[in-house]
Amino acid sequence: MPGPQKVRDKEADSRSEEKRALDDIFSLVYEELRRLASFVRKNEVSATLNSTALVHEAWLKLKDSPHLASTSVPHFKAIAAKAMRQVLVDEARRRNARKRGGAGEAIRVTLGDSVDEITSCDEELIALHEALDELKRLNPRQAEMVENRFFAGLNVAETAGLLGVSESAVERDWRAARAWLNSKIRPDME
Amino acid sequence: MDRARWERIQTIFHDTVARPESEQQAYLETACAGDQGMMAEVLAMLKADSRGPSLLDRGLPEVAYRMVGASIDSASFREFGPYRLQRILGEGGMGVVWLAEREDAGNLVAVKFLPNAGLSPARRERFAREIKTLAKLKHPYIARLYDAGALADGTPWFVMEYVEGLRFTEYCRQVERPIEERLRLFRKVCEAVQYAHGQEIVHRDLKPSNILVESDGTPRLLDFGIAKELQSLDETADQTRPGLRFLSPDYAAPEWVRDGTMGVYTDVYSLGVILYEILAGRLPIKNTAGDRTGDATESTPERPSIAGKRSSSLSKAAWSELDVLCLKAMHEDPRERYQSVEGLSRDIDHYLNGEPLEARPDALRYRLGKFVARNRRTVVAASLTVAMVILLVVFFTLRLAKERNTALAEATRTRHIQRFMLTLFGAADREAAPSNDLRVVTLLDRGAHEAKVLNSDPETQAELYENLGQMYQRLGKFQQSNELLQLGLEKRQAALGAENPKVADSLIKMGLSRGEQTQFKDAERLIREGLDIATRHLPPDDLTVLRARSALGVVLAESGSYDKAIALLNPIVKRPPTGEEGTYILLDSLPPLAVAEQNTGHIDVAESLNRRALALDRQLFGNSHPAVGFELAELASAEATLGRVPEAEKMYRETVAIYTAWYGRDNPATAQYTNILARILAQEGKYVEAAPMLQEVLPILEQAFGKSHLYVALALDSMGTLELMRGDLAAAQGHAERAVAIDKALFGDSNHNTAVVKAHLAQIFIKKEQYDRAEPLLRETVKALTERSLPGNLSVGGAQALLGRVLLREKHYRESGEQLTAAYAILAKQPGTSYLKMLQQTREDLATVYEALHQPDKAAKFRTELVANQPRKVDAPIGN
Repeated sequence: MPGPQKVRDKEADSRSEEKRALDDIFSLVYEELRRLASFVRKNEVSATLNSTALVHEAWLKLKDSPHLASTSVPHFKAIAAKAMRQVLVDEARRRNARKRGGAGEAIRVTLGDSVDEITSCDEELIALHEALDELKRLNPRQAEMVENRFFAGLNVAETAGLLGVSESAVERDWRAARAWLNSKIRPDME
Repeated sequence: MDRARWERIQTIFHDTVARPESEQQAYLETACAGDQGMMAEVLAMLKADSRGPSLLDRGLPEVAYRMVGASIDSASFREFGPYRLQRILGEGGMGVVWLAEREDAGNLVAVKFLPNAGLSPARRERFAREIKTLAKLKHPYIARLYDAGALADGTPWFVMEYVEGLRFTEYCRQVERPIEERLRLFRKVCEAVQYAHGQEIVHRDLKPSNILVESDGTPRLLDFGIAKELQSLDETADQTRPGLRFLSPDYAAPEWVRDGTMGVYTDVYSLGVILYEILAGRLPIKNTAGDRTGDATESTPERPSIAGKRSSSLSKAAWSELDVLCLKAMHEDPRERYQSVEGLSRDIDHYLNGEPLEARPDALRYRLGKFVARNRRTVVAASLTVAMVILLVVFFTLRLAKERNTALAEATRTRHIQRFMLTLFGAADREAAPSNDLRVVTLLDRGAHEAKVLNSDPETQAELYENLGQMYQRLGKFQQSNELLQLGLEKRQAALGAENPKVADSLIKMGLSRGEQTQFKDAERLIREGLDIATRHLPPDDLTVLRARSALGVVLAESGSYDKAIALLNPIVKRPPTGEEGTYILLDSLPPLAVAEQNTGHIDVAESLNRRALALDRQLFGNSHPAVGFELAELASAEATLGRVPEAEKMYRETVAIYTAWYGRDNPATAQYTNILARILAQEGKYVEAAPMLQEVLPILEQAFGKSHLYVALALDSMGTLELMRGDLAAAQGHAERAVAIDKALFGDSNHNTAVVKAHLAQIFIKKEQYDRAEPLLRETVKALTERSLPGNLSVGGAQALLGRVLLREKHYRESGEQLTAAYAILAKQPGTSYLKMLQQTREDLATVYEALHQPDKAAKFRTELVANQPRKVDAPIGN
């Protein structure tokens, strides 16, 4: 069956292309996340330091690299959002697996956070990730919107600009997507 | 579920939430038409919609914290093997370093972990490479690797020698270590880097925090986290670039940042920057303007001797050697750098031994190329004067280049002068322009000396003398200027005879210089002499004749003979000479004519002349040339004086934009114009915009002009006013007091500037109700201003109004009444509404005074005026 096989290869190609771009900003995103985390720890998260600023800084660091040269800022933000999502979900999965694997390996937290909270964050993230994949099947643009807003911190106007739709359309799509995703992430919560 | 169904669900969801709660259930049932699955989906969404914040709403920082935050300051263990962790020493791009104690041996070690190692294979690879690199390096100045492994969860670690010491730069700063000691220490660092290079390892992240100095003075190199083996360089273009690079931009070599090329020269550059820092006490300022497009290769940092406070223990010549050495190490172009760390070390040895440096460039061609390459852009000038001198040199160069085409005989001479100029200024240019007038003067002194011993033909000599003389004139060094111009004149007379038109040119130059020194009689005599010679030998429309007429006009306008000046200058301006030289004559004639017209009451004519000069500048130099910016600022200043503040604002904005584009934001001239713009903005009440401008500008001005310069005082004064308006009185007082102190030191206690700044400080005290502190300040202000101003001066009125208020608050009614009455007389005469607020306040104060003095009639008079002049929108009175 040469036809379908070829199609799949092409898909795989573009995915590996994307993966390469992701690899490149992977570590950077990770370090930025840690920085962001350390700000939260010190209660320093403010309007000036949000994920948008973070993504913007990442952009400044990376913009001169050859294969990002032709990338526009919004497009870069979209890539960064994907990287952010992947870093977080990978970590959540890894920790989840470890928790199931052996008791002795659980991370001991000393910051006043209960292990439960951490656990729920892991599981919620994985659930969000999976629900987002499902949403992508139902409406790719909507899934992309959630990705950009949540993982890259784009605001309504930026999201609208990136996707080429009106702001009210973004607001409307967001509300429905949020409700639906939340119903999938924590279905039994009151 | 499919797409269509999801669309349908969303529609129902939106339609439902748009309805009142009481109708929702019914609507839902109708809309879903018995589709229980759909109904359940929408219901779940409605529930989620009304629920509080979830993961999605918490935002990324929170999630980041929960996901990767834990490893920041809590290891997942406290001990492993024989090591017990104590505290975090630091965390960088490549892991967290803990201080640990080896329990069996009791010694301290540093343990580096790679947290969240599972995330990225690339990070794991780099960590492994660091271990491999460290294992290869065994040198007394490099921290040693002891052990390496991985935790049960896969987190890799390695143990290395713990170095207890100070950052390299901090160590150097301590007790003001002499330069030579710093250099010897730096030399040791070079040795360690050189050793690593010998092991084919490039560090790539050399910076002061990676070089610690132990208490016995031994430097230790740390953190080979992004080091690279030279032999593997070609294999894969360098995978470390770009995403995985966490380098420190201040120390990273430009070519590496730009396109990833690297080699030993990468480390040479970083060492150069570190050397700069220990010499100058700060990092070189990079050209950061324009971020992406800004071509870093064009910028040259200020010489370290100028950037830093030059230690007096070293001679000028020694500093000059160090400048060359340091700037060669950190040259933007790797080909121009030392080709190895060894080369750098060798030159440091040469320096320490008092031998000539290998780095000393002597090729004029190199300087010339550099000079020409950047005479259109990024003239990194350190002060307005220097900028002017450099422009002047460019101007001369271009003009001389033109002359070369006119006569072959002159070619040699022209080249000679050009060479001389470039040698003279080439040095200054190459190592960035000098930071203050003194340096330019030194340069000129050197030039003047060389010109005198230069045994060339008299005409060359004469031209050199005159060029230098004019530069001294621009710098206000009139004694030298006079001397050199006189020498030039004598040379010309001797060589060409007293009647030669070129002698006329010399006479004109001298005359203009005298005019600037306000020796108008001499000036007029010299120029007339020149004009006579020129008229005797040349046709009336010859450029030399016209130049003489224009010059005479300039001097007459300066000396106040406005009508004569207009008579001379008007024909030139009406029928301007053609050609480039002619245009310059026109350009020289316009401003004095404008002055003359303005002073004979023709303000409109003057303004149109100024605008014409501006247009000509634009035409000659392009819209973005500093000459245009300068002209605009002149116009703006006039506009501001006339009270046309918005126009002034617009022009200053353009000036600032031009200077920013030309010299960069960090340039002192740019900073000073920004300073003035901020002042104008503050005057207009645009505090939000003005405040950050001043914040940005102050350190630049302090750096360039010193902490007690007029410009700094100006900025501080504006900042004080801003803080007063914003209500931060403590900050306002701090700024204002500094401004007063500076002005006092500069101009004396009774100077006009000092007086005005004092009044501003007094306003702060009034606001704080510290009338006893405001009173003496205002008394001094009123006294100083009254002595130096014409009767009816507005500043005097303003100060008296303030003093009157203070006295009123202190219940000294009679004297308060006197001051307020005087103020009232001045303020009431001001046209327009700009001073209405102040006037109204004075009326109110006067009314209060007369009530206290039991003169109800007078009080009533002012109360009536107060009400009659109430603006429609009531503003809060000043200072309340």
